[in-house]
Amino acid sequence: MMQEFLQNWIYFIASLSLVGVGLYIVLTKENIFRIIVGLNIIESGTNLFMVAIAWHPNAVMPIYTATNHLMVNGKVVTADPLPQSLVLTAIVIGLGTTALALAIGIKIFEKYGTLDVRKIKEAEK
Amino acid sequence: MRSDTPELFKKIFALSAVAILIVGFFLAFIEMPKGWSVNVNGRVSRLYILKNVRTATKLLDSGSFFAKGMKPLRTDVAYTPIEFKKTANLEDGAANVVTSIVVDYRGFDTLGEVTVLFLAVSGVMMLLFGKPRKEKKKKTEPSLIMYVGTRIAFSIIFLFGIYIFVHGHLTPGGGFPGGTVIASGILGLFLGKRGYNPNHAGLKSFEALSGIAFVIIGLIGLFSVNSFLANFLPTGIVGNLYSAGFVALIYIAIGMKVGAELAAMVDTMITDTEEEWS
Repeated sequence: MMQEFLQNWIYFIASLSLVGVGLYIVLTKENIFRIIVGLNIIESGTNLFMVAIAWHPNAVMPIYTATNHLMVNGKVVTADPLPQSLVLTAIVIGLGTTALALAIGIKIFEKYGTLDVRKIKEAEK
Repeated sequence: MRSDTPELFKKIFALSAVAILIVGFFLAFIEMPKGWSVNVNGRVSRLYILKNVRTATKLLDSGSFFAKGMKPLRTDVAYTPIEFKKTANLEDGAANVVTSIVVDYRGFDTLGEVTVLFLAVSGVMMLLFGKPRKEKKKKTEPSLIMYVGTRIAFSIIFLFGIYIFVHGHLTPGGGFPGGTVIASGILGLFLGKRGYNPNHAGLKSFEALSGIAFVIIGLIGLFSVNSFLANFLPTGIVGNLYSAGFVALIYIAIGMKVGAELAAMVDTMITDTEEEWS
């Protein structure tokens, strides 16, 4: 019972809780770098969700090797490779956006001398 | 939210936002169809299958699950199982199916992805551009062991990166991980010696030439097979190094481009610049 429940739901619960933790961080933290960390946690949650959609306990990885046959008796027995390739794209774009966000954070620190969003707002007045 | 709002209220607000997200997610699950009478293969997601692992496994073992409602794409040729190192002249020919999707079927998408990475790196360079700081901060000089060790490690890491992106169509990996591995080796060189200065013109021209090579490979497909980024080379035998046509060529171009790009980004981020704010 417990094993079946875990097999069914563990990746979805994990991905959803990652998105929840990231959203909580983004909403409550004041430090800009911590907000960027929260965004990255949301991103890993969505990536895990997309990979988990394509996954099945009995499926093999979608790579042909000497012992890995993706088709058995004419039936496909692999995990779906399409969400995996989309996640590959999403990871690279996440890297680019994180680097850009960190660069903007560095510039904000140089101008205001702080990373606290509230103090930056007060300094603007 | 104002700055004088009590901390507790803010936390409760954030927690309720998270709770709404979670409840909405599970409500979306409940709305999905139940029972095995619907054709699963017609649905977009496999979530529905995962709800019932035992039944799905049983159906998978008896062979009636994936075949349900599925028609073979071609009926004019008989079904022949694909054997590693034996089957030749497949449609794509890459042993790694994810690679064949990323580079071959969705090659145009990958071109856009490379463009997004290029734009992000140029944005970082534009933001962090400036004159090097004159009064340098006091930092400890790395030791001789660090200096020599990073150089030895760089050669091994460089070779490993090249291995990853050349074998992208056979093993997990490909151009993006390979390029990142190479950039991490160059990061080691930056850590090993203070003020390490790579050849900037070389990095830039390397990146530009590999980007142009990607587009040229696509244009060759356009002129020879009448489709942009079409596979114009013979696909060979599954599992050989010289197989899958142009997949390996494109992954070599992507790997060199990503490696040079990320190395330039590391260089920009590690150089201490100053800027005068008005």
